[in-house]
Amino acid sequence: MRPLAGIRVIDLSMGWAGPLAARHLADMGAEVIKVESCERFDWWRGWEATEAWIAQNAAEQSPSFNTVNRNKLDVTLDLTSAAGAALLKRLVAIADVVVENYSAGVLPKLGLDYAELAKANPQVVMLSMPAFGTTGPWAGYRAYGSTVEHASGLPHLTGAAHWPPAMSHVAYGDAVGGLTGAAALLTALRHRKRTGEGQFLDLSQAEGLFPLGAHGILEQAVTGKAPQRLGNRSATCAPHGVYPTRGADQWLVLQVLTDEQWRALCDIAPPLRSFGDGADRLARRDELDATVAAWTRAEDSRELMHRLQRAGVPAAAVYDMRDVLADPQLAARGFWQMTERAYVGVQPGPVPPYRDADAPYRIETPAPTLGQHNRRVLGELLGLADSELEGLARAGVIGDRPVMPQGA
Amino acid sequence: MTNSGSALGAQALAGLKVLDIGGTVGTAYCGKLFAAHGADVIDVEPPGGAATRALAPYFPPRSHRQSHARTPNDSVLHAYLSANKRSVALDIAHPAGRAAFVELVRDAAVVLDASVGPRSAFDDVFAVAPSVVVSRITWFGQTGPYRDYAGTDSVCHALIGMVRGIGPVEGPPALPSGYQAQIVGGLTAYIGTLGHVIGIELGNRVEPCVLDTSIFEANTCFTDVGAVAAFNTGTVAPRMGVNRFPPTFPLGIYPCRDGWIGVTALTPSQWAAFGALLDLGDLTARPEYQTTLGRLADAATLEPIIMQRVAERSAEEIFHRGQALRIPLALVPTMEQLFTVDQYVARAAFGEIVHPVHGAFKAPVTPFRLYRTPAPRDAVAPTLGQHTRACLAAVGVDARRFDDLRRANVVVEG
Repeated sequence: MRPLAGIRVIDLSMGWAGPLAARHLADMGAEVIKVESCERFDWWRGWEATEAWIAQNAAEQSPSFNTVNRNKLDVTLDLTSAAGAALLKRLVAIADVVVENYSAGVLPKLGLDYAELAKANPQVVMLSMPAFGTTGPWAGYRAYGSTVEHASGLPHLTGAAHWPPAMSHVAYGDAVGGLTGAAALLTALRHRKRTGEGQFLDLSQAEGLFPLGAHGILEQAVTGKAPQRLGNRSATCAPHGVYPTRGADQWLVLQVLTDEQWRALCDIAPPLRSFGDGADRLARRDELDATVAAWTRAEDSRELMHRLQRAGVPAAAVYDMRDVLADPQLAARGFWQMTERAYVGVQPGPVPPYRDADAPYRIETPAPTLGQHNRRVLGELLGLADSELEGLARAGVIGDRPVMPQGA
Repeated sequence: MTNSGSALGAQALAGLKVLDIGGTVGTAYCGKLFAAHGADVIDVEPPGGAATRALAPYFPPRSHRQSHARTPNDSVLHAYLSANKRSVALDIAHPAGRAAFVELVRDAAVVLDASVGPRSAFDDVFAVAPSVVVSRITWFGQTGPYRDYAGTDSVCHALIGMVRGIGPVEGPPALPSGYQAQIVGGLTAYIGTLGHVIGIELGNRVEPCVLDTSIFEANTCFTDVGAVAAFNTGTVAPRMGVNRFPPTFPLGIYPCRDGWIGVTALTPSQWAAFGALLDLGDLTARPEYQTTLGRLADAATLEPIIMQRVAERSAEEIFHRGQALRIPLALVPTMEQLFTVDQYVARAAFGEIVHPVHGAFKAPVTPFRLYRTPAPRDAVAPTLGQHTRACLAAVGVDARRFDDLRRANVVVEG
């Protein structure tokens, strides 16, 4: 049995971060019910919806949406309708956890904020996870994972001194926000399990990136100065960088952190033997980097990575996304699980990065289609009769096809 | 929105005892989250100190007379990671030390470990604590051809495909700094570990539980959606330059009259509002600019215009006016500015950690808030071995045995 079997989660979140938080609970066996609506479907299905896009079933073909929503059930509820809001409260009444990442003000306007939902279920654990938290002068401000990285301090720790503050990723804050959200939920869930007490939680996705920049924040805190931006170099060891290898745009990360690694590298790369101890290498770093690059340029990055690693030297080929799918370590551990999904066919999905046996936790079900489990959740779980479901569908409260958003 | 305090006055993880024998950034960050929410977390360190005690950044020397030789108490990174924990300096590779460790484990819920090896290495642990979760956090996991490879944060970032997208078109690609991959690994392991602790408390799990978290796999959270997209398209996006990442445009960090502004305009409505904010005029309405990919394709035309308009304005003005128009813009604070950003001050995002030798310093608090069972903002970091005697006495190691262990260099007192 999976560890969180018996826990029920209502996932009102959209995009990357919130759904990833709920997915970790689903991966560990919680029953996660994702709530969308036909008009306000998860924007990660697509943010430039047109009638043609809807007609092509493109809402069901987003790799991003499908990756972070596996192992979940999906219902549609128009929460702006009285019937939809009432059904959500009935779901919350039988749930343990609610996750949401709407902009501030949306749920209060719908009468569905924590104060209201806690009336339906005082023991519920509810997480709101806006970009900057639910309090403070920026509480209502909008953000993506990119915005969150911008505001986190990290860009001043990335890249070379002559660069502008630099980003690491198109949406670095999102995945970290998702992990932080899952951590928050489990922390409160453990308290609830022990005491029966539910509670409200929030997180700031921007603050979620602070631990990733701790090396810079702490140096600033104790010395009054920020660390220098050294590009790919290290202040304390060399060689340390990204070196060109054979082929177009092929590179190798190489980091020599200890004397032992240096000796192992010299056994493999005779041209480097003219360099001395760590101090000598730091003093002659330009010359050293040029010598390393002249040597690596003739090598295959993947082959060289394995040769160096077998000798104990930290090295890695600079992968592209296809390489990530083909990596031998991930393959040996069954990391990419192939799963059949309606509208897109067989797709790879990443299994959870923690496992309790040699085999990983399997992906039980692919991401749900819009409203796929309306009957199961609203009918079987809440006990609505078929005639009631038909009435809700006629009224547009539930459905299984996107509707062109008004005023998008 | 707030709750009244817990009726029991307890923190969320009260009653959980966590032992960290890993001594890495990954195990320490995982343990830090347990400690922040009330678990009793004990770093069980070798007599010379955990590996994290040697990691930068460091406290500055306290006086000009102080020797430059660093001690195990001089890493501010370690102090941050060990806040709210206790330190036991105990050589668990020594049989007598291992025996004392097994006594410490008897009432533990979690053991955090960073080694690669057979599960049988924990047979003695499970013999006395059958429901403990042994959570092993390693670079590549316990199995597979890389299990003994030398991991680093940069190695992970290269292998998840992230490095390739950072930096100038001509290269070289750029490495993120610091310990980011390990922090993500520790955060991920916290999720898995606490999930399994809850599973045991729920009665869903009974057998000995050894959890295997791969820091490499944990970090694929940043690129897995891109890899699945590449599976479908068969193509990969090229590196497009500093601060340029598909599919979003405009996206970047631009110099203002006084500082920097972070820009993201993804949806049609955000693009329209952004155009209005910067007086881009007819450009905004062009049909080819109504999709993010259309704008990205012509970034060479659009970006200089955007940069010129941004440069004329102050960052604060663009930020607040833009946010009022529902555009996801951001200030881009430096390390120094970060501590005074009004939002972070309002949320008390930085607390104080007191180090017994070096005094108090500011550090980020846990980024999530539990309103009924809040984590304390301030904390104390232990010196090496500060709690060796007290922790071992609590599990029945009497004074005579302790002195024997000390004479054999199996324990060290801080």
